[in-house]
Amino acid sequence: MVEIAVLLKQVPDTTARITVSGDKVDEDAITSWVTSPYDEYALEAALQHKEVAGGSITAITLGPARADKVLKDAAALGVEQLVRVWQDGWEPLDSIQVQAALAVAVQASGAEYVYCGKQAADTNQGSTGPGVAEIIGAPCIVEITDFDVSGPTFTRSSATGSEKVTVAAPAVLTFSKTTTELRRPNVRGIMMAKRAQIELVGGEVGTTNVSVVRHASPAQKPPGKTFEGADSVPEVVGLLRDEAKVI
Amino acid sequence: MTYEALDFYDIESQLTEEEVMVRDMVRDWVEDEVIPNIEQACRDGVFPDEWRVALGEMGVLGAPLSGYECPGLSYVAYGLICQELERGDSGVRSFASVQGSLAMYPIWDFGSEEQKQKYLPGMTRGELVGCFGLTEPDYGSNPGDMITRAEDKGDHYLLNGAKMWITNGTIADLAIVWAKLDGVIRGFIVEKDDPGYSAPEMTGKHSLKASVTSELVFQDCKIPKDRILPGVEGLKGPFSCLNNARFGISWGAIGAAQACFHSAKEYALSRIQFDHPIASYQLVQNKLAWMLREITKGQLLALDLARKKDDGTWIAEQISLAKMNNVDMALEIARMARDIHGANGILDEYCIMRHMANLESVKTYEGTHDIHNLILGRHITGIQAFTRES
Repeated sequence: MVEIAVLLKQVPDTTARITVSGDKVDEDAITSWVTSPYDEYALEAALQHKEVAGGSITAITLGPARADKVLKDAAALGVEQLVRVWQDGWEPLDSIQVQAALAVAVQASGAEYVYCGKQAADTNQGSTGPGVAEIIGAPCIVEITDFDVSGPTFTRSSATGSEKVTVAAPAVLTFSKTTTELRRPNVRGIMMAKRAQIELVGGEVGTTNVSVVRHASPAQKPPGKTFEGADSVPEVVGLLRDEAKVI
Repeated sequence: MTYEALDFYDIESQLTEEEVMVRDMVRDWVEDEVIPNIEQACRDGVFPDEWRVALGEMGVLGAPLSGYECPGLSYVAYGLICQELERGDSGVRSFASVQGSLAMYPIWDFGSEEQKQKYLPGMTRGELVGCFGLTEPDYGSNPGDMITRAEDKGDHYLLNGAKMWITNGTIADLAIVWAKLDGVIRGFIVEKDDPGYSAPEMTGKHSLKASVTSELVFQDCKIPKDRILPGVEGLKGPFSCLNNARFGISWGAIGAAQACFHSAKEYALSRIQFDHPIASYQLVQNKLAWMLREITKGQLLALDLARKKDDGTWIAEQISLAKMNNVDMALEIARMARDIHGANGILDEYCIMRHMANLESVKTYEGTHDIHNLILGRHITGIQAFTRES
């Protein structure tokens, strides 16, 4: 039997239109939110680990009420306990505050293993897993690309290729995209998710040391050049070679 | 370009969390599995068996039925499932409609307890496929004059006759067959290995190419006595099934229309003529606005009908209106979308012509457009105009 905590972050859909208003990303204008993709691989690994070893999974997210959806989606796949970490007045939290708040929930869950994505699709910081590991005093295996839940053993990149490692609990495991196909929910799971209760926890997270001064949209790409006809081929090849330096 | 469903009147805000989750589950499956493979399935003229398996695993077959392992979802959820499936292809929605509304439903409503326990769990899991035999070569809109007969032979029934235009027929493990027993229409469950039964596939279709369409042939087909549906006599039986299937079509057509609208919008925004996107020209905007208008009206109609189905306050004429209207508007949107796509609209790179061809079938099956008009005409005037007799 194994107790697992999975950290799930709700991020804007990768195709959602992001607008910056008053030097800040306008979250209210984002119409589609999803579970961060690397977290989905972590969740799949956790579900497989539980299926082999028995036990239960606690899904933990940090965010406002809209983040309940990632927990319900996880419940539809077979997660038993759902915890949302949030307290009015928290926003914005820096990475250390996020880690501190999540670590409290992880410890309360009694988890032996903590699964999460290697980085979130919105900020790409990659700090949550190692940060939580530091706070709870556990080793952290990062950038896992494959796993065997019967060990469990985990495959990660190494200087010479890849290496397969095993780690004693408690441990934090951060997942890259793995070769495992992600499972889909079904109606039975959705019915279970409907009944699942979400525990809301808050607490002290200290003061922030980092402040975001401003957000900015990526610079506009310069307009492309158009060429027509076979006669333009030498010129296109020349530009690809000498200017774009892609061939 | 990522699909973004048109939701001009914020229908989503009127859905429950469960309904949204079911819709998204089916939408994701259609996006990942159906849309990338549907053109090949059409070229091959097959309904991929892995789609049957997936529909069973998702648990959407027989969506609004409860008990016997059936999903027990709301009619709104059932409608959303049909909508998303038909955004992929009418053939996929047809498979689910026939399985759930035309094969599972009559067993669920009119079958014996033994029949329910024997068939429904396997059917909702997609392990058993069902079909529905009502239409005959010479009797389509007029099923009451069907020729197929059942005879009581003491320890068994003997079926003789033929059915036509039967979705899922060749791949079905069981058929719900409507036949006259002593002059009264009754439902029978025919299993694929019953002696005297065959289901040859009909070929040469330009529509619903990724759907199996068959004849059912009964030549001294011998079936046990416990295969009659005990709970219904007369046309009420098949018409009850058709009401549920027609309801699903009213939602499915919205999915096909959405697919065509989405493609037309994206194409119009990216296609440059006379130095500007064609979306910037008034004639094209007029077409897009008409599509938005009709899809929105269709959505509101379907949602209201689904709430009535859930409340039990619907009448059959409301289903006729919704089926007829929504298929009609979807077909017109497909044609208009083809127009916006110009010559490119005929390529299978775009979904337009496939949906258009499919919708020609959908307009005709489950009660033709004209028959639904006659149903409404009878409702308005109190005078039936199906036959010359008053």
